[in-house]
Parts: sequence; structure tokens; C-alpha cells
Amino acid sequence: MTATTSALRGRATPAPTRGSGGRSTSKAARLIPSGIAWILPAFTISVGLIYYCIGYSGYLSFFDWTGGRSPMFPVGIDNYVRAFTDPIFWTALRNTLIYFVVVFAVQVVGGLLFAALMHSRIFFASVYKVIIVIPVVVAPATLAPAHIQVWQTDGTVNQILKTLGLGDVAQAWLGQSTTSLIVVTLVGCFGSVGFGFILYFAGMSQIDPEMIEAARVDGASNLRMLFSIVLPNLRPITISLAILNFITALKLFDNVWLITQGGPAHSSEFLGTLIYAQTAGTSRNVGYASALSVILLIIAISVSIAIQRRGRERAVKLEEPADV
Amino acid sequence: MNKIRTVSAAIGLAAAASLILGGCSATTASDTSAKPADSGKVTWWGYTPDTPVAQKYIAEFNKKYPKITVTYKNFENVDYRNTIIPALDSGKGPDVFDLSPSGGTPEQWGPYALDLTSLAKAQLGADWESKIGEGYAKQLRDAKGRLVSMPMGGMSAGFLWANNNILKQAGAEVPTDYTSWVATCKKVAAIGKSCLAMGAGGADTFPTEMYHSIANSVDPSFFLKAATGKAKWSDPQGVKVLSIIKNMAKDGIISSDVLDAGQYPLANEKFMKGNAAFVQMGFWYTQYSGAESCKSAMEAAGVSNPTCFVQLPVTFPDVAQKGNGSQLFGEVDYGLAINSESSNIGAAKTFVGWLTTSKSGQQDVANALDLLPSLQGTAPDWSNISLVDDAVQRPAIEKLIAESVTTKQTRQYQTTQESLNAIVVATQQVLDPSVNTSIDDIVAQQQASSKASTVK
Repeated sequence: MTATTSALRGRATPAPTRGSGGRSTSKAARLIPSGIAWILPAFTISVGLIYYCIGYSGYLSFFDWTGGRSPMFPVGIDNYVRAFTDPIFWTALRNTLIYFVVVFAVQVVGGLLFAALMHSRIFFASVYKVIIVIPVVVAPATLAPAHIQVWQTDGTVNQILKTLGLGDVAQAWLGQSTTSLIVVTLVGCFGSVGFGFILYFAGMSQIDPEMIEAARVDGASNLRMLFSIVLPNLRPITISLAILNFITALKLFDNVWLITQGGPAHSSEFLGTLIYAQTAGTSRNVGYASALSVILLIIAISVSIAIQRRGRERAVKLEEPADV
Repeated sequence: MNKIRTVSAAIGLAAAASLILGGCSATTASDTSAKPADSGKVTWWGYTPDTPVAQKYIAEFNKKYPKITVTYKNFENVDYRNTIIPALDSGKGPDVFDLSPSGGTPEQWGPYALDLTSLAKAQLGADWESKIGEGYAKQLRDAKGRLVSMPMGGMSAGFLWANNNILKQAGAEVPTDYTSWVATCKKVAAIGKSCLAMGAGGADTFPTEMYHSIANSVDPSFFLKAATGKAKWSDPQGVKVLSIIKNMAKDGIISSDVLDAGQYPLANEKFMKGNAAFVQMGFWYTQYSGAESCKSAMEAAGVSNPTCFVQLPVTFPDVAQKGNGSQLFGEVDYGLAINSESSNIGAAKTFVGWLTTSKSGQQDVANALDLLPSLQGTAPDWSNISLVDDAVQRPAIEKLIAESVTTKQTRQYQTTQESLNAIVVATQQVLDPSVNTSIDDIVAQQQASSKASTVK
């Protein structure tokens, strides 16, 4: 904040200009944000590539088009109507919500738990840290075959169940509508806890030890300290994780496609796999896929703003002095 | 001044960005009327054939045209579909590329391809269409009547491949109907092997082959009638097909891991590892009957130091037991298209013309046992082909070829992607033990999700 303020102050005192018209030049200079020349290349590429693509997707969403040089037929909002009347779209949204809630909850609880454990004095802490973080850094494409091996009908899970005498519980985890989403979600949890741990571990390091000490002196229990000191201090991290998790759930593609391809019968479909299937199928529906992408973008932006605003409101509420 | 500079820089960068983006659609000058040339460099991209087969074709081609260098790049199916259009749009696509008739591909990719009618006429004469497989030319024309791809060969499906070693070991017979199939599976299961290797999970459309085969047993005209809107998938025949699939899982023909993954890799690996008695694959699987190619196929499935088993094409059992028997379905598998913006059109024409229409090129296609050669009257030269067990496999393969070239039913050419997807979902629902939806409701959903094809 301080740095920004001083930079603005710097701009308020323009350097002497050469020649006449210094007055108008300084006015113009004030209109151009500081450092614009430095960010212009990245800004141009960003606008040119990313925002151009977003805009172009929006444009394509109003056409029936199979890509390439095939003819484009304007269809108005038909692609959007198709999306909102397509039961697979709603299945994908429902799955996204379930995935987000479960993975976020597991990430927060697991991340906090491991972070708290690592901050306590335990043996081989560094080894545990590595073990917890490894799933974060390994590419989903590398882990997917292992997950398939674990969950397939003659896979590790069923073998363990049979060994334990629980053969009746063994089932085709990947090949059933009732269990395929569970597998995908568990795989998501597996990779997310480590990320939560990293952020919470760093966040806990930033908490002023004097606050903890004062709470201890006041006789606060561990649980009380967790809920009254640790968690409120980690709120920005939790909000960030919520936003990141929701966006991840919306964009989810790799693990799902590699493990279930959204099946069976679309039971583990997500927006990412649905969009991909529309563009990678033999008959490419680029217009419909674009409409789905635009919907995804709108949901992602809306929910991110909503989570942030909610987080700020709560933060303000907490900062307000309690009525005496 | 600073502002002017900044604005100029912005304009410059925007121009650069637009040039970069515009470069995506840059085109190069090409001579579409170029005559076949004797020298040049040709790049060929395709999802099929496998690279060793393509290399054999190229080696034979180079015996006649040593000054033409052909480079083949093989892609996985989905990767190919996702890569080819951007590549062709960029102006840096291949000179020659695979183009199949399925899913309206001639319409989607045809605009990038030369009309090869004149090449076909030059190679085979004015009556060229009568000299290639029936319907092949029609299937590879776009709506404007341009021949966008020269047919390389055809394929057929609707039969099974059997592991003869397993059947012998189990003392089991090749099944002819549902009852005998159940009996065979019991004997196969008794020796610890799976009966039918099938992968119906994921989004792959392979389960439609099983559906089509069973439909032909129920009512040989039903599948294409439903595909073209003359019947409904929810008609009694459709209910019967799904009931049979459900019973096949219940009676041990289809194993419980059927929805774990798609036909590739699940069923292919299980069969190639020698763990299953049957698998449903098309004509292209014939190539793995070879004494050498079977080894590479088994190695690819994860078998080290493989000992090949005898694989045989067998008739699909008459599972409906109505006396309709079984019927093959097939169409042109794919053709070779020439990129209209290629800078090597002359050499590309020579290569495509030789491989798709010359006696020697098509003989190589026949000998690879990957396709039914497009040029009529071309048959495998058995003196150049080594099978695992020639005495047993050769008669079966010859019978398959004879039946395949006379089939009248198309495989996917007259079925929309929507209908194929709906078949997949319906099949998955009846095979999923956790789904309680009735078959009547499943076929109703299937009908609602399908789209009738207008292809005649």
C-alpha cells in the first residue's frame, strides 16, 4: 500500500519537460498510468490472445459451426437454450458443485490438520511434508493410470476388501453411475490436501506468536485458540482456496477424462469434459462448445466475486468493535 | 510526444499481434492442377495405418518412385481430429492426410482437399467408380460432389475374434447362438479366463458395434431404419437389443469390468494378453493374425516375450435366436486426401494415385491385412503372408474377406454422432448394475437424444 502511494505521489510531481507546452504534456502524462510502457507488451499479448479468444468464443457461441472451413450458420441463442435444456449440462453442474464442496472441505480440514501437525514438534517433519506435497506436484496424467489401477474392478481397493473378508462391498467403482463421481472426487481430494497444507503452513507461520501466548495466558484451550485466533487469521487463505477450488472444479478436465471420460452414461461429467467432448468428437460442435465455455466463464467470474465480497463483508464485521 | 510514442508502440504491438494471429490463416501458393511428379517430398498424416504398415507401403512405393520421399506421422484418433484442422488452417499442414466418411468428415475437412475425381479418372479410366469398392466413392464425396479423398480400402465389422488356443484348452466350441455362447463362456470361465473382452466405458463409440450386431440378429433391417429415422430406437426391436445386452452381462458373457474403460485399451489388452476367448473388433484386427505382427500387438498390450496364439474371425452368434443369423456391416474405412495448399501436389498425386489405385499399391494394402483393398479384384498374396497357423487362419480370413466385400449394411456412415452417442449411453445404462431405470425408459431417452441421419 505504501509503495503504491509513493508511486502516485511521484507522478503528481512531473519532471520538467523540454520545449513549450510543458503544461499540456504534464496533463497528458497524468492520464497515462505509470509504467504503461513496461506492461504494454504483456498487456497486448494478453488482450490479443486471451481476451480475443474469449471474445471470439462469445461470437462463435451464436453459430452452428463444425470448425475449420465448414459453413457457419447463425442460430441466435439456440446454443444457450440447448445448454440450459440439456440434462447432461445440469448433471455436469451438479457434479461440479459436489466436487467443489467435498474437495474444498477436505482440503481445508486436511490442510489445517497437517499444517498444525507440522508446526508442532514431531519427528521426521520434513519427510512428512514431502509426502504431503508430492501429489500436488505430480501431473494428473502421470497419476491417472495408478488411480485406474487402484479403482478398477480387479484393482487394489477391491483386492484389499476381499482380503479383509469384505468381498460383498467390492464393486466396479469406475463403471457405476453411483460410484464414478466418488472416485473422481476422491482423486481430487488426494491432490488438493497438499496445496491446502502449503498455504496454511505458510499462513500459520505469519500469526503473531504473542497473540497465541496472550491467549494461553488468558487460559484459552487449543480448540478455542484454533477457532478464535488461528482460523480468523487464515481467513484470506481459506477464501482464496474457495475461489481457486471453485474455478478448478469448473475447469476440471484432465483427471476426469483420463479416469472415466465423464462416464458411465455421463454420471461423472463435468463442464470441462463436456466442452472437450463437443469439440473432439467426430462431429464437432464448436458453436455449442463455445456457448458452454461462455457459461463456464460467467459462472466462474460471478462466483469468484460473490465469494470475495462475502469474505470482505465478514472481515469487516469481525473488525467492527463489539457493542458494549 | 511520449503519448504519441506510446500510442505508436501500442499500434505496432497490436499490428504484430494481429500478424501473429493472422499468420494462423496464412496460405501458400499451390498448383492444384499440377500433374503427378516423379520427385518431391510428401508428408502424410493419419490415425491409421500403424506406422510399421505405413512404412511398408512407403518402402514399396519408393521401389518405383525413389525420388519421392514420403514421411508418415501417426496420431491417436482423437489427437488426429484435434490436430488436422488447425494444421491445415495454418497452411503448414501435411501434403496428404487421412479422411474417412464418418461423422460428416468429408464436409468438415473436404474444403481443405483437392477434388480427386480427375486423378481417379486418369488412373482408372472414365468408369473408375465401377473398379473400386461399391459405394466407396459416394461415401468420400462432399455435398458438392467433389471426391475429397481417394479410397484406400474398406473395412467390415459385426463379427468376433476368437482365441483358438483358449477354446481348445477349455474344450469349448465356437458359439452359434445365445445358448451355446453361455455354455462356451462357462467352460472358458472354468479355466480362469474371461469370455468376451469388451470395454464399453467412457465416451468411445465402440459399443455401437455390439449393439448393431445384436440388432441384426433381432431384425436385420432395424439398425439402419432407426439410424435414418424410418424406425425408432424405442421400438420393440430396440428394447429387445438392450434386453439381450443386459442378459449377456447377467449370464457371464460380458464381464463385470465392462465399464471400467473403453474397448481400447481394456478389451484390446485383455484379448492380446491371451486372457479372453473373444473380442469384437473389425477387419483391421486381421493384421494381428500375422506371425510377426501378432508379437508386436501382444508386446504393445504389455506381454513380454510373447508367444502368439491363433486368432480367428468367427460369425457373431445369433443371440436373438430368431433365425436371422448374423450380418456384417462395413464401408470405406478411409481415403487419402491431398491438401489443396500443398506445395508438393505433383508428388502427392503420384503417391496417392499409386497407393489407392495401382495394382501394386493395392496389393500391398491387401497383404497388410489391415483393409479390404479398394481396387476390386485385389486379394492378399498368401505366398507373401505368414500367419501364426496358416492352415487354420487362412480359410477363416478368406471367408471373412468374401463376406465383407458383399456386405450391404453401412457401419457408421448413415448414423449420426448423436445417435451413436445415444447408443453408447443406453448400453452403459443397461450394463451398469447401479442403474434402476427400466429398459423402456432407457430406450425412450435414447430415442430423444438421437438424431436421424439424412444420408441415403
